[in-house]
Amino acid sequence: MDTRKVKALRETISAISFIFPALLMYAAFFIYPAANLIRLSLFKWDGLEPMVFVGAENYIQLFKDSIFWLAFRHNMFWVLGAVFVPVTFGLALAILLTRFPLHGKILFRTIYFLPQVLSSITVAIIWGWIYNPVYGALNQTLRMIGLDFLAHGWLGDRNFALPALFIAWSWIHYGFTMVIFIAALEGIDEVYFDAAKIDGANKFQQFRHILIPFIKRQLTTIIVITTIFSFQVFDLVYVLTNGGPNRASLVTPLYMLSSAFRYYKVGYGSAIAVALGVFILVLSVILMKLRNANKEAS
Amino acid sequence: MKTYNTINLEKKTKISGYLKRWKSIIYTVLAALLSLIVLIPLYWVISTSLKDRAQVIENPLGPPVEFHWENYPEAWETGRFGPYFRNSVLITVPTVLGVLMFSFSAAFAFSILNFPFKEGLYVFFITGLTIPLGVLVVPLYYQMLDLKLLDTHWAIILPQIAVVIPFGIMLLRSFIQEIPSEILDAGRVDGCSNWLLLRHIVFPLSRSALLSLMVFEFMWSWNEFLLPVVLLQTERVRTLPLGLNFFHGRFSTNFPLLMAGAVISFLPVVIVYILFQRQFVRGITAGALK
Repeated sequence: MDTRKVKALRETISAISFIFPALLMYAAFFIYPAANLIRLSLFKWDGLEPMVFVGAENYIQLFKDSIFWLAFRHNMFWVLGAVFVPVTFGLALAILLTRFPLHGKILFRTIYFLPQVLSSITVAIIWGWIYNPVYGALNQTLRMIGLDFLAHGWLGDRNFALPALFIAWSWIHYGFTMVIFIAALEGIDEVYFDAAKIDGANKFQQFRHILIPFIKRQLTTIIVITTIFSFQVFDLVYVLTNGGPNRASLVTPLYMLSSAFRYYKVGYGSAIAVALGVFILVLSVILMKLRNANKEAS
Repeated sequence: MKTYNTINLEKKTKISGYLKRWKSIIYTVLAALLSLIVLIPLYWVISTSLKDRAQVIENPLGPPVEFHWENYPEAWETGRFGPYFRNSVLITVPTVLGVLMFSFSAAFAFSILNFPFKEGLYVFFITGLTIPLGVLVVPLYYQMLDLKLLDTHWAIILPQIAVVIPFGIMLLRSFIQEIPSEILDAGRVDGCSNWLLLRHIVFPLSRSALLSLMVFEFMWSWNEFLLPVVLLQTERVRTLPLGLNFFHGRFSTNFPLLMAGAVISFLPVVIVYILFQRQFVRGITAGALK
């Protein structure tokens, strides 16, 4: 063997030793459960008795299951709301912090972003108290300003439970969209704005014709990521309403878990997980395509 | 004529200076008002945590009339936050170390070494970015049951490391690739093995990326709820978010105690966030846009 081959072989062995620990962990505790999930979804199993192979039956049942579609619709509602509330609000704050003259930018960014670092249980406790029918801040405030008739048991009302949870979630999520928009806006060359000002463009025209076109890709990226997050909503719903009242706030991940562990339909719960996973996978592939487009553009 | 012009100009700049100052004051006030969206709920939490139950009913929104600091030790004791804290540390520290070590060494190989199937293997890792951990809890439950790891810290640590490895590799690889090849070649000429190259050249240069990954991973692992809620069952192993949720169930109407518990559990993350916010924000931005 010539020395070049020996060198290449040595480099390969060395590379394997560097990658092996990560590969082992990833294969054993991520790829294996993912493969096992698909296998489980093809069986009927209560978690104890022998498993029965049923092929696509779980998926056929899923397709006809009105509860699954109800949960799915709730996630879709969440997506639509998310595109308007936290994305728009995050963008507005990012514009305020980057394009307007004000003092203490870092301080404000720190404060705005703060809810993002709290655990979802902390947020659930805060908002559970705000929504409390008797002592809650929301009803107290409404009573104080004479709007008693609007006071509600927010989380116990089937028309308000889902929107109330969504507002609590938005309180966390806008910070995430904000920091990404800030990074995007800081990347725009000031020259374009100066040119527009000389041409007499007002703030709105600058927003419409410079700012938005420049961050279009990041905007799409954030909308896709927000959609992915919206389909994984679990913690707040689990803690505050557990999907109630009467499934009014049931979301897909919660339905997956309760099918598998509360109703002992492990195969069916797995089929829900596969459906959810595939949906998110498609969105993620779109996202990666966008990222690559981003890289090529820059 | 000349003097007139200069005076006029001075006046103009003076006026525009005033206007600028006023504008910046107005926008600062606007920004301050918007920050109330965050500060008011946090103020409510802290002020409620210092009241007694009678004050919560009589005066729910105002500041406490007298301060009941004893709510904190009481919440700490009855909520058993001590053991929960310990469990959270025992899960978060190995998770963060594992993620950093495994993804850094793999990212090193992917960006600096040459070997067969390099691209294919990288794509295999990156595929993991498309699958959220949440959908894997059902098979993970049965896997941990088989491995007799259910209801132990390992049931959380191992999958948490596994799921972040793709992100860690991607983030660190993009960073290591930026290191000029001259530096690495100089190391090789001096006879550095790959291990020495990693330790003495690449590691010191990647510190800021590693710090971002570390802070990001710490926050995520510290706050994780879905995995522990399924895989941990007994009091003995419960993490802080689980314990807080349990506490929430037991004292759902004892608001002062509940809020004191909430403050106890969010204080560490808020401190870490304030100290390392630059790294944290960078980690998030890289995760979304890289």
